[in-house]
Amino acid sequence: MITSPGSTPPGSTPLGLDPDELVACVSCGLCLPHCPTYRVTGLEIASPRGRITAMRTVESGLAPIDEAFTAAMHACVQCRGCEAACPSGVAFGHLIEGTRARLAANEPTDPNRGRRSVSRVQRLVRRALLGRALTWSWLLRLSGWGLVIGRVLHVIPRRLRSTAPNLRPFDVRVRSTIERGGRPDVWLFTGCVMDAWMGATHNAAAQAIRATGTTVGRAERNVCCGALALHAGEQDLARNHARRVVAAFPGAAPIVVDAAGCGAALKEYGDLLDDASARAFSARVYDVHEWLASERSLPLRTTGTTVVVHDACHLRHVQRCHTAVRSVLGGAYDLVEPADEGMCCGAGGAYAATQPELAGAIGERKAAALRAVGADRPGVVVASANPGCTIQLRALGFEVRHPVELLADALIPQPAEHESR
Amino acid sequence: MATASQHDAHLKRPEVDAMIEAVRAGVRVEPHGSRTHAAIGFPVSDPTIVRAPSGVVRHDPADLTVTVFAGTPVAELDAVLDEHGQFVPLDPVDRLATVGGTIAAGLSGIRRLGYGPLRDHVLEVRYVAADGELVKAGGPTVKNVTGYDLVRLLVGSLGTLGLFVTVTLRCRPTPAVRTWWQVGVDGVTALERAFRAVAIVSNRDSTTVGFEGEAADAVALRSRLDVVDEVAAPRLPTRAHRGRISVAPRDIGSVTAALDTELAQRVAWSAEWGVGTVHLGADTGKDLEVARAVAARHGGWMLREAGASDIDPFGVERPHADLQQRVKVAFDPLDRLSPGRFGGLA
Amino acid sequence: MYSRDAGLSEGRAGAVCFPNDAADVAFAITACRRHGVPFVARGSGTGLAGGATPLDDALVIVTTRMNRVVGVDRHQRRAWVEPGVLNLDLTRSVTQFGLHYAPDPSSQQACSIGGNVGTNAGGPHCLASGTTTAHVLAVEAVTPTGDTVTLGGEVPDTPGYDLRGAFVGSEGTLGITTKVLVRLQPNPPVVRTLLLDFESIDAAAATVSGIIAVGILPAALEMMDAEITRAVEDFVGAGYPRDAEAVLLVELDGLEGGVDEQVRSVERIGHEHGARSVRVARDETERQLLWKGRKSAFGAIARIAPDYYLHDAVVPRTKLVDVLRDVYDIATRFDLTMMNVFHAGDGNLHPLIVFDRRIAGTWERVYDAGTAILETCLAAGGVLSGEHGIGVEKRDLMSQYFSPADLAAQGRLVDAFDPDGLANPHKVLPAGSRCGEAGANRPVPQGAWI
Repeated sequence: MITSPGSTPPGSTPLGLDPDELVACVSCGLCLPHCPTYRVTGLEIASPRGRITAMRTVESGLAPIDEAFTAAMHACVQCRGCEAACPSGVAFGHLIEGTRARLAANEPTDPNRGRRSVSRVQRLVRRALLGRALTWSWLLRLSGWGLVIGRVLHVIPRRLRSTAPNLRPFDVRVRSTIERGGRPDVWLFTGCVMDAWMGATHNAAAQAIRATGTTVGRAERNVCCGALALHAGEQDLARNHARRVVAAFPGAAPIVVDAAGCGAALKEYGDLLDDASARAFSARVYDVHEWLASERSLPLRTTGTTVVVHDACHLRHVQRCHTAVRSVLGGAYDLVEPADEGMCCGAGGAYAATQPELAGAIGERKAAALRAVGADRPGVVVASANPGCTIQLRALGFEVRHPVELLADALIPQPAEHESR
Repeated sequence: MATASQHDAHLKRPEVDAMIEAVRAGVRVEPHGSRTHAAIGFPVSDPTIVRAPSGVVRHDPADLTVTVFAGTPVAELDAVLDEHGQFVPLDPVDRLATVGGTIAAGLSGIRRLGYGPLRDHVLEVRYVAADGELVKAGGPTVKNVTGYDLVRLLVGSLGTLGLFVTVTLRCRPTPAVRTWWQVGVDGVTALERAFRAVAIVSNRDSTTVGFEGEAADAVALRSRLDVVDEVAAPRLPTRAHRGRISVAPRDIGSVTAALDTELAQRVAWSAEWGVGTVHLGADTGKDLEVARAVAARHGGWMLREAGASDIDPFGVERPHADLQQRVKVAFDPLDRLSPGRFGGLA
Repeated sequence: MYSRDAGLSEGRAGAVCFPNDAADVAFAITACRRHGVPFVARGSGTGLAGGATPLDDALVIVTTRMNRVVGVDRHQRRAWVEPGVLNLDLTRSVTQFGLHYAPDPSSQQACSIGGNVGTNAGGPHCLASGTTTAHVLAVEAVTPTGDTVTLGGEVPDTPGYDLRGAFVGSEGTLGITTKVLVRLQPNPPVVRTLLLDFESIDAAAATVSGIIAVGILPAALEMMDAEITRAVEDFVGAGYPRDAEAVLLVELDGLEGGVDEQVRSVERIGHEHGARSVRVARDETERQLLWKGRKSAFGAIARIAPDYYLHDAVVPRTKLVDVLRDVYDIATRFDLTMMNVFHAGDGNLHPLIVFDRRIAGTWERVYDAGTAILETCLAAGGVLSGEHGIGVEKRDLMSQYFSPADLAAQGRLVDAFDPDGLANPHKVLPAGSRCGEAGANRPVPQGAWI
């Protein structure tokens, strides 16, 4: 049988995927070991190759969009570890986003929803986090969102429940002290929920940026990158967010991001909005470590502290600038690498809340890899550049800090720094 | 499309015709070579004896392969290869052994640690099957997964599955340095330190390490191994009654210690570290049986290699004897090929 | 989902099961036997010959959940592992002891040890150290009759036939592997990887012969032609020269002094045969990058066309140049894009045809060209497969290499293990090879080829 996913025009197929992207997969299976859900289940349908096979089957009309298909597509963490591993350059992220977009669009007309608790979670996540994240920020200030949603919906995974007392939420008392607006040398993107949680991180990032002799400012108002909306298949919502973000950072100054997931989203606005100004915007976006690594070296003291570097998926597999974390931290800390090639920790944005079982299993695998290199020893710190990962890893019992906070701790104070505040 | 048989003119030899005739005649057939391995297994009663031709069929030095008739003495093969700076580490105890006999007996040589077991040196075998057909197993290339690996099945099959006519072997380039050292460290330490040694052999008095490789590496290894002296290759026990113990290599130390405790000078032994083979020489078959009991206590077994005609050749039942028997029956349903060599029906 | 592996044949899974241990496998096989249902083992599904493709609605027994490294003896350098352990994961799990598992197929990050045992998998580093069978000391397996057996063992020799040897490479037709005792190798203290580039394939091949002639047996000796070199460079950016007609990747390992001597020899031999440049990887990062290029070769071509057909054949090393010339002629004759990347040290060719199956008539040309290539290799004294196996892909070509008597002998082995013919049916041997075969001369089921 010769299947021809390319025989119909794009968009008219059940999922509306680009046939050339779909046909690019040669089923070699090299993605399998890099897929966290395949690793913990051993199931072909939980692998990128299996998901693509399922997409092809649906696209060619051989199978309906049923509950099993929907569940398989939602089980993907979207870490995009498969993309970095794929020798054929399959745009898996684009395929899964497209599929989820179509599933989300179909949703209201689909009478047979999947398991009820999952749909409740997903609907709530979308309404609460994706659309009106800012109005929910008061709640987010109280705790990590996985736990929040879990508490609200009474679906806290057993794993999280048992560790909940140890769960240390972000220190929300620290407010970001960076000036808004103006004409700074670089912009620091402080996001929406991140802004509530990550005041200390933003301040540290600004401190490190200033230490290179650069002025830094943030947008007039908080804007959301839209990544969660995009991953949930809410593409229109994501585009609205993107347009607001583009408008919030005028001029040509670089835009520096200290949350890996947000950075990855901003860098892909060019494709999302598909216009010249968005592309120009994306070209100005840097991960904070990437930007710092390209600047003159920072005045750092040697701390003697051991840091285990955890790579956020969106830093390693999407932005592919995870080595910069090592180059900026290497001068001050003894760095240790987990031996799992940057496997996802299972946080995956809202994934920990929507797929608690899988996220738990993936998290345990990650924890084992971290423990294997002594990340659980007293005094050893895990560096994580993404808030989702940070929540997940803290829940697993590790001491976790953002690399720029570690960097700020090791900065030798410069007189100019105080003036610029 | 040329099939292999068109290249097989060299197989038209009177000895081969005799082999085919013998099996077609429906008699009990046993292949003989130099009789150096005759004591391996049970004797075949009243066999018709056949002999494979002798001589090198083809040596392709650039391809590192050599094809010989099964009746070729190993010494002759060694001489031919040596002219081209190559060798095959067959290392039968007696170099008068034929290549076919060595392969059929399946006993690996003393350099197994470095070069792997005997079965890894054999690429292709042509044999006369029980129905008188000439059969090709394997292929002439170093790498080959075309069909089932009948070659490894045939290695060590003691003439019970087929009668070897030609054997194709994988050659190796002769190394710049080939030497044996008596070392000042024990076998365990030598195994840890002697990177890619070809053999580590201990007897009661000393441990020797075989080295084959580049000159610079020899220098580096000597200092790590506390070399006492350069010595001749270790001599395996030569007494009249000989056996070969197979144990898990981690048990070499305790097995040899037990041999010393129970038999003292009544046996001579040479043990291969990292392999698990202990070569034994004894003055009586009874002493070999004591050694066999030592091996059994350590989860191993002892093959009778020479003499000791009063003891069981294997001393243990073949594992999964039913499956082994099904293989024998499938290959030789009328039990014509070396019947009884493994005891019982086979 | 389980209807195919990474090859091109497609079947249909009757059902799928995920055993956790040998007892589960035995239960499944016994049930299959009772009901006359065929079964097929599957690991990661990275095989290229259709060995894991279920035919006759076979039960697919997936071993991915049997993925424990059961025990490592670091001193005797061996480990018991379950079949679902991935090849590279095994090596990672013993790195701390300074050891590694030597066979390294290009899919080593994804392929499972059970699958490696099934196909007797190879890889670049098998030149010096041998293929999977040389690294498997024992196999615990459930035979098609439902018996759990241990073939080979912890001891160096076992009395009777080497059933372990017969089992390795039997592509799941003699039973399903449930545990493997593998040999581990000490990591060489020094590893040097060299990249040599040439203006002609002949010059590269002459260099290979020159290296072997002086008595050097490199750890690996790989060749890539002009097209594949460019394709890989686009993907990896390893610094492969885009304008080379052929590149050689040579790896030498061992103790420092000896390796340095060999590096100098290889450099000299390369220059004698017209190498334009000889690059020695400066550090581990650069070495890994050079290897990443080689190991990504088969996937990287998807950047050129959506489909590929990767062949696998072995010829005597001295016939390489002649055979390659014929192989390129075949590509021209069938109007196909062909690339070559292969294990030059052991004559293991991997002609790669890239195509787009959506274009009508293409697949037929690809198939015919593939057959022509294999016939060329056989005529040169080669064999059908060096490491991928026969599976369903080359089954019907077996009679071009083996005589009916040869095939019958192999059929006898299968008869002994699988009297009911339920283990991975229609694989390896062409129809009619087995004396007790039910319904001999069964054709390949319809739709087995896409």
